[in-house]
Amino acid sequence: MFRTTVLTVGKRVSLVLGLPAALFAVWWFATAGSTDFYVPPLSVILQKFGEVWTGARLESDVLPSLLRLGAGYLLAVVTGVGLGLLVGLSRIVRDVLEPVLELFRAVPPPVLVPVIMLFAGIGDTMKIIVIVSGCLWPILLNTVEGVRAVDEVLSDTCRSYGIDGPARLWHLVLRSASPQIVTGMRQSLSIGIILMVISEMFAASNGLGFTIVQFQRSFAIPEMWSGVLLLGLLGFVLSLLFRLAENRALAWYHGLRRAQRTP
Amino acid sequence: MQRRVFGLAVTLATVVAAAGCGSSSSGASDSASSGGGTTQVKVGVIPIVDVTPLYLGQKKGFFTKHGIDLKMETAQGGAAIVPGVVSGQFQFGFSNVTSLMIAQTKGVPIKSVVNGVATNGKVGADVTGVAVKKDSSIKSAKDLVGKNVAVNTLQNIGDTTVRESVRKAGGDPSKVKFVEMPFDQMPAALDGGQVDAAWMGEPALTIAKGQGARVVASPFAETDPKLTVATYFTSTKLLEQKPDLVKKFTAAMTESLEYASQHPDEARQMLTSYTKISGPVLKELTLPTWPTEIDMASLQKLASLGEQDGIFGGKKPDLNALFS
Amino acid sequence: MTPSATTSVTTKPAGTDTGPGAARNPRRLGGAAAPLRGLAGLAGLVVVLQVLPHSGLVSGDYLPPASEMARALWHLLAEDAFWTALGDTLTGWGLGLAIAVAAGLVAGIVIGSVPVLRAVTASTIEFLRPIPSVALIPVAVLLYGTDLRSVLLLVVYASFWQVLVQVLAGTQDVDPVAEDTARSYRLGGWGRVRYVMWPTALPYVMTGVRLAATVALVLTITAELVIGAPGLGHEIAIAQTSGAVPQVYALVLVTGLLGVAVNLMARAVERRALHWHPSVRREG
Repeated sequence: MFRTTVLTVGKRVSLVLGLPAALFAVWWFATAGSTDFYVPPLSVILQKFGEVWTGARLESDVLPSLLRLGAGYLLAVVTGVGLGLLVGLSRIVRDVLEPVLELFRAVPPPVLVPVIMLFAGIGDTMKIIVIVSGCLWPILLNTVEGVRAVDEVLSDTCRSYGIDGPARLWHLVLRSASPQIVTGMRQSLSIGIILMVISEMFAASNGLGFTIVQFQRSFAIPEMWSGVLLLGLLGFVLSLLFRLAENRALAWYHGLRRAQRTP
Repeated sequence: MQRRVFGLAVTLATVVAAAGCGSSSSGASDSASSGGGTTQVKVGVIPIVDVTPLYLGQKKGFFTKHGIDLKMETAQGGAAIVPGVVSGQFQFGFSNVTSLMIAQTKGVPIKSVVNGVATNGKVGADVTGVAVKKDSSIKSAKDLVGKNVAVNTLQNIGDTTVRESVRKAGGDPSKVKFVEMPFDQMPAALDGGQVDAAWMGEPALTIAKGQGARVVASPFAETDPKLTVATYFTSTKLLEQKPDLVKKFTAAMTESLEYASQHPDEARQMLTSYTKISGPVLKELTLPTWPTEIDMASLQKLASLGEQDGIFGGKKPDLNALFS
Repeated sequence: MTPSATTSVTTKPAGTDTGPGAARNPRRLGGAAAPLRGLAGLAGLVVVLQVLPHSGLVSGDYLPPASEMARALWHLLAEDAFWTALGDTLTGWGLGLAIAVAAGLVAGIVIGSVPVLRAVTASTIEFLRPIPSVALIPVAVLLYGTDLRSVLLLVVYASFWQVLVQVLAGTQDVDPVAEDTARSYRLGGWGRVRYVMWPTALPYVMTGVRLAATVALVLTITAELVIGAPGLGHEIAIAQTSGAVPQVYALVLVTGLLGVAVNLMARAVERRALHWHPSVRREG
């Protein structure tokens, strides 16, 4: 019994780590003797990784970035779901706002930053708003779709039981839209990381994106690569955490799907 | 219908994949291969006032005369130009001298080939300046101590020379707080009070002045009245493999610099061809000077200021190897 | 909760709608009025933009009123450079999207139909996906300078994952009963992909394409802006460095409108490709 769990755990670990390890090995050997200035050997990058991203910089650059990302992401979730409910539930609001929202969604964030700076200054508020301005859309659109697709029968049942107002919103609409909302939240997570970097390209004096750009500008190429590596790692860890949270929050839904799949 | 969509997708996939492979494999730069007559030369530039002589020289035919078919590749900063030059995508590039020094101390294989642009040396009317709001309490560079000052790039020529201005005015340069921001956003940030002062280049400086901003320091002129600000550079590889091409480019560029210096009005008018500067700003903006020679003494001063600020990571740039 | 009542009526499958005339009315109205309401929304935005600089909240120097943006746009439309830039941007977008969709489809179907591959690649995909495409800018410039290919690199990288993840989700959603049926009919590997996996995955694929279309546009313009490759983004950058504020906003407006057009187009394609699917059919 114990042995089999060890075996399955071992198998899963090797599945998760196998390909990345192989790719890293390829990278390691392909660049081992590299003299190209912009493609340093992986060994050098990893060594820099240890030097750069431990100690003081963790607190001075990584932490502020993560805090801004967290704040922006949460704000985007709250606004996206709130606005999504409003837009999804009302055909009129949807018709009126859809083109405007599409317009804003299509404007690339780096272009939007100067406009946001006009209103929000150059501090953390600006950077958080930039993150929100990109993360909002997948959550908003998915919430709208989720709300629109609420099951007719359930909706009628609710009405005939007199469940109305906030209770209806909470128990019926939000709940049945939640798988869609979660999909939107997952897409937003990686967008959030990108925008965290972009927001720190403007008027920043600390942060992960700021540091990487500085490395790039000062031709500290191995350090720059180590930053890119860290971003990838960050994305990976965040999406792992997200999946854990999702499995807990949507356990009922996944259970339902499984039940439907194995009749 | 489904079949059609799928068929379409598959066709598209194969066509595009083939096209994609084709373009990426044949993509190696063969633009520098010198044929009998003219050689195509790509120069990586930032679309700003400083590079006007290049455009003017192209228009006047100085480059074709030397057998060079000039093609400008605009980028948004040295960070995009230097790698392009090193990898041979561009044969030459334009960069400020501090960035070149940083690159050299980090071992980037590049070398400056001809002068680019210099300060006009006029304190109070230089090509760059530290501007403050009309009603600001800041009257001189000394008052910048403890204030927020915007520069376009941290740890570069801007903050180094602003610190020198503060130092010369008798202030403590280590107490100036720098914020990074593109030039074009500085007038708005200054106006909105988000920064106390901003070190601006043209045309942002003229725009800000038009809105009432005052210039309290001219860091370039105050650092050295003959300060060489930026030069054109190439990769050491190209220098070894095609010394003739480098010579031709240098000759054509020198002619262009001379012509631009002698015909400032034409140079000013040339701006409309590659920027969207127009109206009063075009008329009023300050032009830099375009001497043909690099001023080594000013570069030594700039290098030692950079060392003082620690932007070379404890190393010393080899100016002779880089600029002469 | 009248709005929700309207919604539930409008989303009922077309054939079964036998409600009284009063309940049917909103849909007819809605159908005809939707573009009008959309225009009203846009008009509202224009009004806000016009009034804002006069409110004292921001200076007109930095956020010009809508009328000035419109004038700048009008002048832009007369310039050849603008149309060339628009063409460059559309080329970058179209090519990038096509490559990303093709690659995403092929990779997604191959990985999705082989469970071992899926298990092995999952962590790598999760690792590579969040690497910001902006971090690839130095790599792009190094390889291709500032021409179209560096834009393509960024665009393809960013939109590829959108498609791939959707295709993977689609292939995972295949009905086990249909799968078993196909097996009992002795459909081969290709047949199963063609008749079982593909119809199930198509809605997901279409969503992926729609998402990728927008992402590709945003990335095309961002890349042009940051790298300096020719296109609308580069025009924005030039206008910015020249301090030509109304032109900047006029160009931003164009990118926004382009986005709206792309989205409308993507939706139309989606609707055509999925006309048989319940989610489309019930919209009538």
